[in-house]
Amino acid sequence: MGVLLACAAYAVYAAFICRLFFHILLWVRASEQAFTRPAYAVRIRPNTVAVTALDLLFLRRLFSQNKLLWIGSWTFHLSFLLVFLGHMRYFLNPVPACITCLQPFGLVAGYLLPLSLILLLILRTSSGKNRYVSVYNYFLLGTALVISLSGLGLRVFIHPDLAEIKAYILALFTFRPEALPQSIVFVAHFSLVLFLLPFLPLHMVAAPLVTLDARRREDELRTVMHER
Amino acid sequence: MKDKDTFTGCLSRRQLLEIDACTQCGECLKFCPVQEVTGNPLISPPEKIRLFREFIRATEGLGARLLGGREIDRKLLEDFSHAVFECTTCGACSRHCTVGISTQRLWPMLRKEMVRRGLGPLGPQAGMPGAIRETGNPYSKPSAERFAPWFPEGVVVSEKAEIAYYAGCTGAYEAQPMVRGDVSVLSAAGEPFTMLPPEEEVCCGFPLFITGQHDLLEDLTKRLVSAYQERGVKTLVCSCPCCVNIMSRDWPIFFGKDLPFRIRHITQYAAEALRSGRLRIAGELRERLIYHDPCYLSRGVGVIDEPREVLRAIPGAELIEFDRHGLASRCCGAGGAARKVFHDNAIATGRLAIDEAVAKSADRLILSCPACYAKVNEALQGHDKQVRITDIMELLAGLVERR
Repeated sequence: MGVLLACAAYAVYAAFICRLFFHILLWVRASEQAFTRPAYAVRIRPNTVAVTALDLLFLRRLFSQNKLLWIGSWTFHLSFLLVFLGHMRYFLNPVPACITCLQPFGLVAGYLLPLSLILLLILRTSSGKNRYVSVYNYFLLGTALVISLSGLGLRVFIHPDLAEIKAYILALFTFRPEALPQSIVFVAHFSLVLFLLPFLPLHMVAAPLVTLDARRREDELRTVMHER
Repeated sequence: MKDKDTFTGCLSRRQLLEIDACTQCGECLKFCPVQEVTGNPLISPPEKIRLFREFIRATEGLGARLLGGREIDRKLLEDFSHAVFECTTCGACSRHCTVGISTQRLWPMLRKEMVRRGLGPLGPQAGMPGAIRETGNPYSKPSAERFAPWFPEGVVVSEKAEIAYYAGCTGAYEAQPMVRGDVSVLSAAGEPFTMLPPEEEVCCGFPLFITGQHDLLEDLTKRLVSAYQERGVKTLVCSCPCCVNIMSRDWPIFFGKDLPFRIRHITQYAAEALRSGRLRIAGELRERLIYHDPCYLSRGVGVIDEPREVLRAIPGAELIEFDRHGLASRCCGAGGAARKVFHDNAIATGRLAIDEAVAKSADRLILSCPACYAKVNEALQGHDKQVRITDIMELLAGLVERR
């Protein structure tokens, strides 16, 4: 069973990397069509990069549109990041001090993550925009919620053998798959992560670049009919 | 063309990233004018992006690469194409996008892809290239009627001058009080200006660009730019936001290099002429004016302050604003070459602008776009709320000192 799950993990990671690779290839090979390019190239200024960094860090564009959605979304992204970093202790040996320092925050984030997902689901289904929400969107939110709840359950109620889990993960990542840990909930949690991975939205990669371009366009707008 | 052929041929790298960057948050929905009047989810910006993503995935995703591309359901493609062409391309979704996708530039490229697949353009849009080839304008009107019906008496047009005026097809044929006002204001400013003869002043290419029919664009651009260049033009003035948009953003690309002259909207010219004293307002107007920002002028090229500067210069006039104005302005419904195909949407959207102007007790609704002018005037007919509609230069022309 351990080898089977390990094989599934390798297949999923390979599929994820291939998907990303082919998609990046699609971006790279896309032609810069003449009529879609700005007539006058506006260089990206350091200030534009700084403002974009703040946009991304605090999801400022979303904040200006919908405060409640911002609370859900920002909490989700921040707590996801902290939980992800917290999980690094299972992948790294020895555990770096910075990861150890983050553990208390990761613990709080473990509670906030499912709460933020519940808020996002409520907002999606109750805002009158539910007609516009795709099945894929519900699937992403729903699966992420089950993963976060099972993770929280492992941390708070089940208390599996962490040493055993770490040994399994490290063995997996060094291509020496071992027997599965005893905890069924952990197996379910890990399997769901594998299941979700190929479906992760590409906006994680594309959105920061587009947000930077949006700031560049705002700079450019002032020049189109005024400075030249 | 097979429906499993690539969907990315018309998109730039930036636009492919934009397709992937949409988080489907739906925040743009409350600002989409077509959503406001139809409520059809398929026409919503996130749904269009989601579907296009699906098309790309089916034809060029990992599965398609390993197992071969899937044929896309023809009906789905037709519905998608219809949705893309029903959009007014106003760009309000872009302004409110939580990621910052430039939809005002993205939608025309999706339309181009649909045209490439034989799924667009729709209705009268399909006749535009032929009409432009034959008559120089998308309305199939004779060039002899381009200027004659509205050109004010006594206005002198120079053979050569540093300033040129481009009337534009919609202004010349469908919003004549507007272009009459433009020419009157230019004349009142006292600077010599030139115009191309009616048979030479052909379409700027915007209707073709916006409907994804790009074949004639390079030829039209080169003809117009060369003609103005021969007249020694340094500044090309135009009142149509769609024209100034394609002139400033796309003409340099179709021309192959920087334009030999700069592009200015008529309100920019008028504001500068008022500042410098070349243009003086003689009368006064004790009215509440509400100004509607055309999408392609505000979000398109950033001309927002100058129209207001002109209106504030009118003694006695009180300028009030729509709730959504400037970069956030609401479409009047006439944009994206959709007004002739989706007439009901355009009328319903135009009436929203009229209703707000009336609710804010405006005496006049001031416009500065010929498409807005034509369609909002049409929307006014038979509507239970009434407001006087005037073009900004039509208004100014009636108030300035004549030379």
